[in-house]
Amino acid sequence: MARPRRSRRTLTTLVVLVLLSVTIITLDETGKAQSLFSGLKSVASAIYSPLRSGVNGVLDPIGRFFAGAVNYGSLQQENQKLRAEIQTLEHRGAATTAARKQLGALQRLLLVNKLPALAQLHSVLAEVTTQDISNFTATVTLDKGTSTAIAVGDPVLGPGGLVGQVVTATPSTATVRLLTDGRSRVGVAYGSKDQQDATVAGQGAGRDLNVEYVAASTAISKGEHLVTSGLQGATYPAGIPVATVASVHTVAGATDREVRATPIVDVSGLTYVEVLQWSGSS
Amino acid sequence: MSGRALIRTAVLIGVTLLFQTTVVLEIRIGGMAPDVMLLLPIAAGLVAGPVEGAVVGFVAGIAADLLLPAPFGLSALVGSLIGFGVGAATASLPRDIPGLSVLVALAASGIAVMLYAVLGALLGESQFIHAGLAVMIPVVAVTNAVLAVPAVRLTRWALMASGDRAPTGSQR
Repeated sequence: MARPRRSRRTLTTLVVLVLLSVTIITLDETGKAQSLFSGLKSVASAIYSPLRSGVNGVLDPIGRFFAGAVNYGSLQQENQKLRAEIQTLEHRGAATTAARKQLGALQRLLLVNKLPALAQLHSVLAEVTTQDISNFTATVTLDKGTSTAIAVGDPVLGPGGLVGQVVTATPSTATVRLLTDGRSRVGVAYGSKDQQDATVAGQGAGRDLNVEYVAASTAISKGEHLVTSGLQGATYPAGIPVATVASVHTVAGATDREVRATPIVDVSGLTYVEVLQWSGSS
Repeated sequence: MSGRALIRTAVLIGVTLLFQTTVVLEIRIGGMAPDVMLLLPIAAGLVAGPVEGAVVGFVAGIAADLLLPAPFGLSALVGSLIGFGVGAATASLPRDIPGLSVLVALAASGIAVMLYAVLGALLGESQFIHAGLAVMIPVVAVTNAVLAVPAVRLTRWALMASGDRAPTGSQR
């Protein structure tokens, strides 16, 4: 009798855990416990972010130490001198290139922030500290959080246009869901004469965006820019450049066109971003 | 499970999560990072059986989900199923098969990644199933196979505290 009782208990445990998981997923998907879950995520991030920063702070010097230890004692004095000189020159060159890249990124950020639609909004400049914390999501972590008035829902700009939206924030960090993430949806406008609305949906890191709800009867062409529509209840202010149309296909008999677009900002190589303090239109 | 085992398991989950989000995330092979969090339910299933495997998988999954902007609870569901599956599948196997933990980690990690993608797609995250899985599955499976032996030892240290004994597979 002991074995059936044991296997019944084993199965019961699995069923309970599966039901619990499915309930949590359902509550999350339907948004019924959104405040509870986002609160839990913020608390977890607040606990974990300093630990993660601490570990990264410890590991970086160790990495440099080992790099130095590998070279130690293996070189003759003259070679060491020459290599040191070469390294210095290389570092200078790399530093100059990196500095130029950073300067370019910051200049482009400033240009975006001068858009008429954004002139009245306050913003916070933040550095990207971590890219993609999972293989299935497209996110970045910023070095600033609620202590600098960054809040969940704030739009985030990169050099040239929209990057994404803040999804969790702690006092010292914020997680941004990028445009390319599968859960990202942005209301956009296109067409210079007769402006139309569509939705840009992420398809995962490194892949083009899908432009939804483009009626077969409307004119849209490759190379056209898509900007945030800022409609009633929109989660982004109007007029921010989002993406450029990469391809347009019309399927016979279909009501909508198949449109793909590439983000204006290269979200895979972000260094600095601007977080807009925008509470959304009502 | 004793109180000491609970504390040790909680510490192991926390440290593994920290390891995943700092060191492991920096390792990119073909653009994909390994996922050592999956090793916890696999090792727990191997060391202590299906119940412990499912419970460790659920708790580790919830911990990971708290840091991910993905469907909340999905990692917990996958962790529970994988931990249970490994425990049930290996319960009747002889304990002295050489390299069993490595082979189980290789297969179970690949299955877990596929399960996460398929369940995510069923929940509306259709982008979870994409060409990148062809790289992601071997990257996660192989790295977890390499780390399987230390993972099993650490999990045994955590779960078998205070003289607890494994019902199955404790010598793997």
